[in-house]
Amino acid sequence: MHELSVALSLIEGVQEAAAREGIERVTAVHVRVGALSGVARDALEFSWELATAGTLAADSALRIEDVPLVVFCERCEAERSPRPANGLLCPACGNACAKVVRGRELQLVAMEVPQ
Amino acid sequence: MKYRVVEIGQSIMRKNDALAASLRARFETSGTLVVNLLSSPGSGKTTLLEETLVRLAPRLRVGALVGDQATDNDARRLARSGAPVRQITTAAECRLDAGMIASALESWQPGALDVLFIENVGNLICPAEYDLGEDLRAVLFSVTEGEDKPLKYPLAFNTAQVALVTKVDIAQAVGFDRAAAHRSMHDVHPDIEVLELSARTGERMERWIDLIEERLAAKRKQPAMSPSR
Repeated sequence: MHELSVALSLIEGVQEAAAREGIERVTAVHVRVGALSGVARDALEFSWELATAGTLAADSALRIEDVPLVVFCERCEAERSPRPANGLLCPACGNACAKVVRGRELQLVAMEVPQ
Repeated sequence: MKYRVVEIGQSIMRKNDALAASLRARFETSGTLVVNLLSSPGSGKTTLLEETLVRLAPRLRVGALVGDQATDNDARRLARSGAPVRQITTAAECRLDAGMIASALESWQPGALDVLFIENVGNLICPAEYDLGEDLRAVLFSVTEGEDKPLKYPLAFNTAQVALVTKVDIAQAVGFDRAAAHRSMHDVHPDIEVLELSARTGERMERWIDLIEERLAAKRKQPAMSPSR
């Protein structure tokens, strides 16, 4: 459910950027999706076709870059990547880390435009 | 085919975050404490809110916005407290966003409020992403749910300041493993404040009510902080 509205927000961002730059057609859209964002890759890809239909990005490719979860462990004083389904636990020392460094991203990065 | 790449580089939450910031400024001016309630379906948000409104209404001006994909059953149930309640029917959307709160406030005239509760759509994934301009995010987690739920939905528990373990009156009957539940909550948010209560029996509801009153007093003495993102 969430992914369709994410796809629609992405398209809205693409349309705004395209209007600013005078672009009429977009062939691919690059996005960054964090592991903690709750967005499922498959569902986003599935929603993409629906969300782009009839827009300047119709039939465009969606290029998803997955961003793994990275937390800051205060005990190790270092950035760590928790193991999947292990909360925000430091994989090195087991400390629960409150600070998420990366992994919440839902970013519209760039678009490919025919030349 | 030749193509060029046009950089955009923006969060898709940008619009929501900007709207949430303006809501936060507005609630700052009105001195209204805003509480966003998140949980899975069936964790007891409506029961908790019903009991909370009944307890606070004699002392404070309280109101609630209630999000559901369909029906206004919850709003009708909550209206029995006498507090102003407004339903937001989200249809296809699985969560509330700042725009829905802003438009609900345009057409709803609850009068000046000390505390506005927002009951989000029952879902632990999507609502966690959306800042609604709240001061306090509370996530509910009933004793009938798996003790590892926070590990499955880390963002909801990581972004909430308070976790409410609900339905503790039946904890023993359902074999609730308290230690495991606390451990998994702290694993995703070491500083989270955990309250255990039962809205049905009223057991330990006082601490929750006190917490809201403390937060309201704190807000009125000092500018509120935005929830950590």
